[in-house]
Order: sequence, then C-alpha cells, then structure tokens
Amino acid sequence: MTLTTDVLIIGGGATGAGLVRDLARRGLRCILVEKGDLGTGTTGRYHGLLHSGGRYVAKDPIAARECIDENLIVRRIAPACVEDTGGYFVATPDDPEDYVEQFPAACAAAGVPAEEVSVGELRAREPALNPAIRRAYRVPDASLEPWQLVDGNVTDARSRGAVILPYHQVVAMQRSGGRILGVDVADVRSGTITTIAPRLVASAAGAWAGRVAALAGATLAMSPGKGTMLIFNQRMTDTVVNRLHRPADGDIMVPVHSVAILGTTEVEVPDPDHYGIGREEIALLMDEGEKLFPDIRAMRLLRAYAGVRPLYSEEPTTEDDGRGISRAHVVIDHGRRDGIDNLVSIVGGKVTTYRLMAEQTADEICRKLGVSAPCTTAGEILPGQGDGSFYWLGHRLADHEDTGGGDAELICECEMLTRSAIETFLDARWPCSLDDVRRGTRLGMGPCQGGFCTFRAAGLVADRAAAAGGDTATAAVADRALLDFLAERHRGTRPIAWGRQLQELWFTTGLYQGVLGGRSLIDVDGNGTSGAGNLPDAAESEHVVR
Amino acid sequence: MSSADVVVIGAGLSGLNAAIALAEGGARVEVIARGHAATHWMAGGFDVAAPPRSGSSADGLGQLAALAGHPYAILAGSLPAGLARLREILAEDGLIYVGELDDPLRAVPTSIGGTRRVAILPAGQSAALVPWREGERLVACGPARFKDFWPTAVAASLSRAAVWGPAREPADRPERVDGVSVELPGLADRHNLSGMDLARFFDDPAWRREAFGRIAAAVDPIARRSPVRIGFPAVLGLTDHAAVLDDAARILPAPIFEIPLVPPSLPGLRLFRALRAALRRRRGGLVVGEPVVRVEVDGRSVTRVVASAAVRERTLRTGALVLATGGIAGGGLVGRADGRLEEPLLGLPVEAPAVDDWLAPDPFDPDGHPLEAAGVRTDGDLRPVDARGRVVFGNVAVVGALLAGQRYLSQRCGDGVAIASAARAAEVLGTSGPSIAPSAAAPAATRQRRPAKRTA
Repeated sequence: MTLTTDVLIIGGGATGAGLVRDLARRGLRCILVEKGDLGTGTTGRYHGLLHSGGRYVAKDPIAARECIDENLIVRRIAPACVEDTGGYFVATPDDPEDYVEQFPAACAAAGVPAEEVSVGELRAREPALNPAIRRAYRVPDASLEPWQLVDGNVTDARSRGAVILPYHQVVAMQRSGGRILGVDVADVRSGTITTIAPRLVASAAGAWAGRVAALAGATLAMSPGKGTMLIFNQRMTDTVVNRLHRPADGDIMVPVHSVAILGTTEVEVPDPDHYGIGREEIALLMDEGEKLFPDIRAMRLLRAYAGVRPLYSEEPTTEDDGRGISRAHVVIDHGRRDGIDNLVSIVGGKVTTYRLMAEQTADEICRKLGVSAPCTTAGEILPGQGDGSFYWLGHRLADHEDTGGGDAELICECEMLTRSAIETFLDARWPCSLDDVRRGTRLGMGPCQGGFCTFRAAGLVADRAAAAGGDTATAAVADRALLDFLAERHRGTRPIAWGRQLQELWFTTGLYQGVLGGRSLIDVDGNGTSGAGNLPDAAESEHVVR
Repeated sequence: MSSADVVVIGAGLSGLNAAIALAEGGARVEVIARGHAATHWMAGGFDVAAPPRSGSSADGLGQLAALAGHPYAILAGSLPAGLARLREILAEDGLIYVGELDDPLRAVPTSIGGTRRVAILPAGQSAALVPWREGERLVACGPARFKDFWPTAVAASLSRAAVWGPAREPADRPERVDGVSVELPGLADRHNLSGMDLARFFDDPAWRREAFGRIAAAVDPIARRSPVRIGFPAVLGLTDHAAVLDDAARILPAPIFEIPLVPPSLPGLRLFRALRAALRRRRGGLVVGEPVVRVEVDGRSVTRVVASAAVRERTLRTGALVLATGGIAGGGLVGRADGRLEEPLLGLPVEAPAVDDWLAPDPFDPDGHPLEAAGVRTDGDLRPVDARGRVVFGNVAVVGALLAGQRYLSQRCGDGVAIASAARAAEVLGTSGPSIAPSAAAPAATRQRRPAKRTA
C-alpha cells in the first residue's frame, strides 16, 4: 500500500507533535509516524520542567530568551498541561558568589523576570529547603505535563486532516538522485509494511535523528546525552527549585503531580536505545540534592529513570547562526548540506521550546514547498484544555466531591484514577497497552508505583480486549501489559534498591511471584519479559551498575 | 520492670509459632512486633518446598535439605512434627488445613489468572487441589465491579493450557474456564468494596445465603451441562468462615474454592487470628504496634528488650530472645545506600551477595534474585554466628525469613522454614539451660534508663 502526503514527519515527541500541528494549520497534508507510542522517547522521560529561562541566562542568553517567550506561550495555549508552581533560584553555601551577584542583571538582559525574595519568605513557603540558603529569586518556572501536551498538539493536527501513526517505525527509504521518493514504515505490532510517498520528509526523531538521516543516505552526527533523574514519593517542595550556579548535575527539583523529580546528570551515550544507570550517578544526584533539601536521604525514592537529550555535535554553519537560531536547536536542510532536496531535520532543543522549534522547522519546510501560510500555533489554545485554567493538583479530588464524594470507583488510589477515566481513555485509544494507559492517565505513577492498580487496569484492558476479539487474545494482551509494567517497575527500582524502596520492591515481588503466581504467565503465547513496553532496553543489554 | 523467660520479636508465622510452642512448654513468653507480618498478605497455605522439578513437598524438602547452607540442611527434621502440631493448634479454632507433605504439588489458580504449585492449603482453598475430572470446568466467579478480581481476565488467562504448567495429565487442569460476574445483594450502589468489606458481608448468615443463591443461579447454566468447580475470590467470611463454607456446600451446585487476593489477605488474617488466640489461651503476651528500639546485651547474652510504646519506652528483662523480624520485606534486614545489608536490632553479621548482584536484571529470572539468599547464618541450634562460625549471642534464636540461604521465590519454602525454625527454637530455648536462665539483675552498665520525656 502506498500513501501520498505533503509532509511525512518522523518522530512523535513534543517536537514532531508541534510540527504536525503547525504544518496542518498551514494547510499541508501530513502523516506523522512514531516507532513507539507518542511521547515515549525523550519527551516522556524528561524532568517535567517548563523553563523560565533562568537556568540559561549566563551560559546561553538566546536560549534563555527563547525559554521565557515560549514559557508564556505554552501557559496560554496549553494551560491544563501546566501547573503554575513558580520557581526559585537559591544560593546555597556551595554556590559561587560571583554567579549569585550577576544573576539579576543576566536575567534582566535576557528578559527573564526574576524577583528577589527574602530568605524568611522562602523558608515560610518551602520549609524543607536548606536553612543555610542565603539568597533567593523567584522566576516563572512551572511543571509541564508532556503527554497531555503531545496529545493536544496531535489532536489539533488530526482535526485538520493529519494522520498520526504511533507504533510505526521507518525501516527503509527509496531515493532517486537528490530526492526521497518513498519511505517504508512497519507497523511494529502487526509487521505490516506501508510505503509513504511524501513531497518532503521532516525528521523530528531527536536523539534518533542520526539513524533516520542514515536511512536517507545522509550523515548526521548526534551525541545523545543521557540525563538520569530520581523520583521521590512526596512533593518536598511545591515550587520548582534551582541552584544559583552554572547549570550542573542534580541541581533542579521539580514538583510533578503527587511526586517530586530531582534532575539531572549528563553522560554521553553511544546508543540512545541502550544505556544503564550507574550507581555513581545516583550517589551524585543524592549528594547534590542534599544541598537543596538536607533531609533528602530520609525521603523514599520511587525510581530512577533516564532520558537522552537530542544533542547535535556538529557546529552550526555560519548561515544558521546568521538567522539568529540559538545553538540550543538547529534546523538542518539536507538539500544544501547533503544533496537530499526533500529532507529536513530538527535537532537539539528542549520540551519548553518545542513550539518554536516546530515553527522554525515548518517555516523552512514551507519555504521549500512554496507555501506562504504563516504560523498560527502561538495564538490558539490547544484542544482538551478544559476551562483554560492551569492544572491543579487537587482536581481529581474535587471531581470526586462534585460527583458524590468517595464512592467513585478508584482503580488507582494513589492518583485518584477512576474506572470511568480509564474506560474513556481506552475508548479513545484502543488498541493500546497498559503502558499507554499509564502515560495517558498517570495510572501507577504515585507512591505505590503500580503495586495495587496494575492488575486491576490489566483486568480493564482484558475486558476491552474481550469486547474486541477472542479470549486468548484477551489474555495475551493483559499478560503482556502486566509483565511489561512489572518489568519496567523493576528496572526503575533496581538502581535505587535500598531502604524502604528495596522493602517495597521485595514486598511487590513476593506478592506478584508468590501469591499471584506471576511467573506462570511468562512465555505463555511467547510473551517473555524482554523489551518491556517502549523503553530502552537499558537493564537487559547492559548491567545497570557500571 | 517486667520480665519474661523469652521475648519474641516479630508476629509472623515463625514468631507466633515459636511463642505458642514455648508458652505450651511453660515459659513466660512476650511477643513484641512493630506491625503485622506476612500473615496479612500471604496466600494462607503453607509453602514447604516447591523448587522446580519437585513432585511433592517432601521431595522438595529433601532436595533443599541437600543444599549446603540452606536452612533445611539443619531444619528439615523439625518440619513434619512442627507442621503437624501447627495444624492441631489451628484446628482448635476450626481452621482446618488439607494436604500432606507426600501429596503431589498441584497448580492452583491465582487472582491474576496465573497458577502456583502448592500442596497444603486451608479448607476454603482445598477444592483446588482435587484432580480435575474429565470434562470438568472451572468457573472463575466474582462479585460484579469488585476491583481486586476480574473474572473475564482470569478466565481468559487460565484458558491457556501453558499457564497450568507442563501438561502431564488431563487431570492437571480443567477442560475449560469461564468467567462469570454476579451482582451480590445490596451492593449495586456500592463502589470501592474491599475484600474485607465483602468478608464482613459473608459473615452475616442471612446475607450470605442470598448471595450464594445468586451465585448458584449464575453458575447453574454451566453446571447443568458439565461437572463444574467454582473459583471465587478469598472473601468468604472472616469471623464465621467455617459456617460460610458450610452454607456454600449446602447451597451451591458445585464445590467452591477461594482464590487469594492482594492484601489484606483474608486467609492470612484467619491464620493470624487463630494463632493469636492459641497464644492467648497459653497465656502468652502479644503486642503489635510497639517497635523494638533497642536490645541490651551483656557479653554474649541478650538481657533486655526496649520497645517504643506510645509516649514512653517499655523495657522487658528477658532470659532469651527469638528474633523473628523477617527478611527484607519485613524489615528484619535493611539495605543501605552504600550497599551494606544490615540486621538493625542486634547488628548481627549478615551474609549477602555483593551489592551489584543483589537483583537480576529480569524481574522474573527463573533463578530468582541473589539477594533472596541473604540473611543471618546460624549454628544448628539457630544461634547467630559470624563469618568464622563463632556464636555471637548464646541466648538468641533466629527464625523465619531472616535465616540465610533460602530462596523463597524459586524454592517456595518460606512457610516451611518458618514452621521448622519455630519448632527448633522452642526445642532449644524451652529446655532450661544456663544460657537462658533469666538473669537475676541486669548489670549496671547495661542500664540505660532515661527520664520519661513528653513528646508533643
């Protein structure tokens, strides 16, 4: 089967989702393919921070200005994805005085609003912070929900005719001279190959962009930078907290829904699909985190995870610099660079500036295709943003109260997730995996990390599968979902297996393998536990402890 | 200051069993526990030994006893009598167990549609052990909208032969599995029902008769066509369980067995309550909810146990100590961020793999996780020893999941080790010897009395 389209977008992270929305709004026919579920690469594995730009004011003022501009736009177009936590930059005794002194001027120069707050006010608002903190500035940082953001972008694109194909991986490209004529994509669930004949191919594959370029016969030197993060079982802060120093490891704490995430490290990895999490990385994060929150070691960790930054290692050309694009991201026209007329790649960047990256990429694509329609993505609110107010942590509880209090059927108690909410998600997304349900609804992402809701949601997935097909298929789908979920949980806990999180892991393992006989489900229908979900095979291919 | 002949720390299967046996022998016994133990989430049967390729518990027991360093290497001989005595004690409260050490291990269904290989189960689960007749069906039946048991998913999963293990004979599994949901009386508007809620409903005689009537009506269409057995979530009463089973047998058209659920486990709770009652009848003391904060020693003897009561410390002088604090899940072993594994109360030497090897990459690795084998090494009398085999404390017996060398995930031996070690500990500490005689007065050096503090 061959499909034709104006633009084929490869990659379903925030950038690809933003790009398909942008192009669809300019009237272009688009198909987006993503090898896993949407938002499962770097987008789904970041720290959850909508940058104010304060982090970059000294190192990269252009990136800082882009961040604050886009921060304000994202707040406007995706309010339901934003928890308006605000942020602090705080000077601990370990932070250099000269950096602290020049921070306000650097913020002013970059247009990042930063207001000094007294240490007394800081400690009143965030009592868990280090009492030795001597200066603090308040900035408009926020917590940003990536999956809902991606969903809002692709929903807008779909409503304008775009076709979104998750679980479709590019396996080959046919070239003739300087043009890509066809792109073969495989449905990773059925194996079916479809050929897409686009006028132009846009690679928004992030850390995987080098591989996509290689399929077209071009070389794109990516140097994926792994960032490891730790999830704590409580929000020890309601405000994003950054250190007042040049960006380094373990210096950001972001409150995300019911948990808090400490980030990050930076380690270059050769392969974005295969990396481990080292004990020394965890130790470093804890040491740095302790400088912000002295009691951090008394708090329970839920899991460690890592994402790979789509870092681009070639120097931007002077031409790119001349267009005023920050080194934070680069739009590459492979026509000029590699003699492939209809391939454009967008590399580098961050979730905060996804829309700007999409706009600049779309501008380049439109120039090449002779389309003059302007970008309209900054002006209109995304679909699914409710009444336009920011996300509020208490909203699910408020919903329960509105519908009669505590008698709603809770499937996941930690996240106050009801049966009807999961069923609504399944209606919209079927066929999908339990992992997809998790990203779409936050199932199992609270303090018990899925110990009690996993099999319940698997039961719901089975009911849905039974309605859609035969019995054996039902069971296979449910098993796969359950085993993937447990494997992923094990992988996330393994690097931080001490104290109460080890105790919790041991309890859950005993429950699922002892009382519930989980092992009897393995290798039934050939559903072994390798390649769980859509995650990199970190723990399997490489020992977690290096 | 009060005193005891023996203090038992931990109120799980091993601690309670040891306390009952010691109290039966006339010792003054006090059980102190931080909280409830594995009894509150275990499946309720007794896993004695079910390593791969074992035909029966006795067969598995023999295999494990032959492994150097396995607790059964010193405890296998204590198991049969310990198990028999435990069953007599539980029968005092009407809690009957079915199955023998020589019986074949059989695959029984779990509440996520898997199976586990077992031989000794409480009567409420024991119908699952009976070989399946030709043409016999299993009906996975559960209350409508009960979120801890999903009949469609369970039936679909159990419909696959491979879930029941390597097929040997047709009698190893039902011919077919159906999933049936039943609307139970008065629950149509109830949500978020827990297993405990349902058990309380079943304890009500009038309610349960109506409920069994509805279950019978739902199962009847299948039961009229072929022989049937009913698998039902383990919620068949808490305080009146035996009578619930009697009513089920009278009203239902087919045998019913309970399938254990996620915690809290009703079969485990029934077991805990029966053990607690047995201990009280023998005048043993039991306090759950008072963590032991400190154990005081004099040389190689434990002399006092200090527990944290609500706003003060409670000190018990004791002649001997049974350490039944559990493994990692129970908190008897604590992993530290730097890779050390500690026994936190007495600082006993812990045998453990290197930290990088604690957990296998695959959560379902057939060999389990090396960390399972971690624990405290003892001599034949369960006294803790150091790496060179020297006894660390002469009047301490280590029992249950804290013992080194067992692999509870792959060997399925945790309950048997608990039962055998409890029996052995009672034998050792129950005989009067110099090491366990209550010390007349604690040496002054170990007195750490502090003025009682008010806490806000």
